[in-house]
Amino acid sequence: MNAHDLLWGMTSGQLPSDAPAWVLEAINAGHPVVVRRAIAEPGQVAVGVRGRLREQRFATVMPLAAVQRRVVPEALRGVTSSRDLPALRALDLLRPVLAQEAWGITGSAGFELASGVQALHEHSDLDLILRTHERLERGDAEDLLAILDTAPCAVDLQLQTPFGAVALREWAGGSRRVLLKTVSGAHLVVDPWQAVA
Amino acid sequence: METLSFEFPAGQPPKGRALVGCVGSGDLEVLLEPGSPGKLTIQVQTSVNGAEQRWQHLFERIFQEHTPPALKIDIHDFGATPGVVRLRLEQGFEEIGHD
Repeated sequence: MNAHDLLWGMTSGQLPSDAPAWVLEAINAGHPVVVRRAIAEPGQVAVGVRGRLREQRFATVMPLAAVQRRVVPEALRGVTSSRDLPALRALDLLRPVLAQEAWGITGSAGFELASGVQALHEHSDLDLILRTHERLERGDAEDLLAILDTAPCAVDLQLQTPFGAVALREWAGGSRRVLLKTVSGAHLVVDPWQAVA
Repeated sequence: METLSFEFPAGQPPKGRALVGCVGSGDLEVLLEPGSPGKLTIQVQTSVNGAEQRWQHLFERIFQEHTPPALKIDIHDFGATPGVVRLRLEQGFEEIGHD
């Protein structure tokens, strides 16, 4: 299991008793949950439940044994939609650009393409993940960002390194230290392709 | 979208300005500029509604450790966790200190 994987099979009985009503609603409707970048107890996986509103995100854990189906971001590259929205048009534009790379779709676009539940709207960003086992040079990051910035909506691409995730936009920028999101939290690092001390 | 304003006691204004962070989910952009002596003002524009208390408490915890310089801070938040907010502010203070 990796951050951004979508999981089906969670039941409302597995939610903590203080879960808000909209969380129960989403789970009872059969919506998938999203794997979070966090450490969980053995036999559990840290997940997030999405609601309709932007501030409706609920962090919880799911028993691994309950997982019935798992969809990874890469599996959504070929999924198309009949809806006409900037984020989906951006996706059409970027598919050939990223064709040779290990990339996938996350965020609301990934959620919608995987589940059929409408999560995108006119002003949604497109969230992507690019798995980079090898270091992506900053100049190459700048070039890629320049292409993403021609898309019809904002594109938030996260570079997944062996140690965590860093935003392409930040890595392509001038900041010496960048924010690396890891299972143990966020860290400011000089090189995202080096283990955090 | 919600805009929140905060004010805290501070020391002297620094000379430089700094821009740290990144536009993107789970992150924030922080612009730090010299403010009026003795005053730290913060404006937060956030996509997460109803979180004023959380910001207030987070800032209080950060600034009680040491008195901050007099700054005018502009924050664009895209749903960052408190840990990320803390790191970005530390990064901003550090960059301002280097000028």
